Amino acid sequence: MKDPYIIFWAILLFSSIAWYGFLVFYIGLKAGREILTLINDLRQPPPDHAP
Amino acid sequence: MTLHLIDWIIIGVYVVGCLSAGLWMRRFIRGVEDFTVAGREVHVNLGIASLAATELGLVTVMYTAQLGYEKGFAGATIGVIMAVAFLVVGYTGFVIEPLRNAGVMTIPELFEKRFSKRVRWLAGVFVALGGLLNMGIFLRLGGDFLVHATGMPGSWLESVMTILLALVLLYTVFGGMLSVLVTDYLQFLIVGIGIVVTSVLVLLNIGWGNLIHTLSSNFDAHVAAGLPAAHPFNPAHPSNFGWGYLAWQFIFQLAVVTTWQTTITRVLAMKDSHSAKQMYRRVSFYFVGRFLLPGLWGAAAFVYFTQHGGLPLGLDSSTAMPRYLGTVLPVGMLGLIVAAMIAAEMSTVSGYMLTWATVIYNDIITPCLKRPLSNKGQLFLTRSILFGIAAFLLFYGLWYKMPGNAWDYLAVTGNIYLASVFALLVAGLYWPRANATGAYAALILGAVGPLTFLIVNAVVTKEHQIAPEVAGASSFALSFLGMIIGSLVSAAPAPATAPNPA
Repeated sequence: MKDPYIIFWAILLFSSIAWYGFLVFYIGLKAGREILTLINDLRQPPPDHAP
Repeated sequence: MTLHLIDWIIIGVYVVGCLSAGLWMRRFIRGVEDFTVAGREVHVNLGIASLAATELGLVTVMYTAQLGYEKGFAGATIGVIMAVAFLVVGYTGFVIEPLRNAGVMTIPELFEKRFSKRVRWLAGVFVALGGLLNMGIFLRLGGDFLVHATGMPGSWLESVMTILLALVLLYTVFGGMLSVLVTDYLQFLIVGIGIVVTSVLVLLNIGWGNLIHTLSSNFDAHVAAGLPAAHPFNPAHPSNFGWGYLAWQFIFQLAVVTTWQTTITRVLAMKDSHSAKQMYRRVSFYFVGRFLLPGLWGAAAFVYFTQHGGLPLGLDSSTAMPRYLGTVLPVGMLGLIVAAMIAAEMSTVSGYMLTWATVIYNDIITPCLKRPLSNKGQLFLTRSILFGIAAFLLFYGLWYKMPGNAWDYLAVTGNIYLASVFALLVAGLYWPRANATGAYAALILGAVGPLTFLIVNAVVTKEHQIAPEVAGASSFALSFLGMIIGSLVSAAPAPATAPNPA
């Protein structure tokens, strides 16, 4: 386990698992809200059709 | 079949939910801009979810696991290089900032403003050709995963993938980019959960110490016996990628993050260039895991089969990983990972189909029309192209046999346009002397290397095949050379078309 390459890949691997887990919840919540905003924006008529 | 009732329920709930959400979004389509770039209303986090879902397909999982099986952890070096490229572009705004500010729907559209209408058309042809050939193997590789992970008969592959493609086509045709965004979001969630849970279970099953020890000792044993084997941890080792391949990948990945149309579509759909840069910075590390986590599954499959009497008959470095997962994952978890992989396949296929349809509509057909189409006509045309692409995928995916591993095929077919369009973008945005003659030369010369690779390697024996890094690097060199020489030997462009340094 003293091989620097193995240490490098171990750090990246466990960081990736943690990062993916974090992103699912963080981006999941934030992007969910943004979809609602997007849908609300799209309910409005396009600018050139506004009265 | 290795699937149980609970696995089928998980898969069924996901597929029906995703299809319903995709179809529901069709009501918000107001015109072709909503259909192709979601009305440019996308914010950072939804952009990240969509980009991550589209660029992590089942085909990605298959080729990164294949790299893990053949090259160990070092196979994930390409993901590290890609993450660095995203980070560099996210901080500097290189190419993506002026591109987003130009307000175009596709990259070739910018070339009409900068060079000429014909350059736009020719670039559109190359972009669509490279993109469609690249996408051609998605269904076959995806089907291979499902066959080997679920244990379903191989003869079902074509039927299952045709049904899956039909479902994707249904919501993409009706809802366009809006449906793609919402289904990408659902797919991002389930793929993320599936990848994390599977990676943890794989580590628990194989054991970290056992994994490292077996990969190392297997390499040492092969070297001692004079047999070929790739160093499992050092990518620069001559037995693995080597410096030449890695150098090509640095240029290639920079071109991918600034030029690959499916990635750039998300940049163009963002509300401004600041959000686009932010999206790139935040998503960068995701691309390490995109290669490393499925790479772990591939490496674990290698260790598992090495310790269980070798690879069973009928399996290879590509199909070993799904068979391994089908063997070791418990009931319920297999359903989750199969649903996650179906999600990955659906998000990638829908995103890619829509992107190439947009290019064909916007840059190949529209410039040839004498009168602009009505709003309904534009939507009808784009939807018809989507049907055409789906038909191409079914037929091409069934008969084409890859000459090497999947990653090399994808890299080289993508290179048909990556090298030349990258040269056009960089020169068009940052070199005032660049002109249409240089652009034609770059487009044609850039496609020579990859097309030669595809044709020659399909007909010659393995010893005489062209190395992918040679084909790839030469296409970048040739396209930049074509741009420089072509521009210098012809008249300078009019001041109005040259880029504004401000």
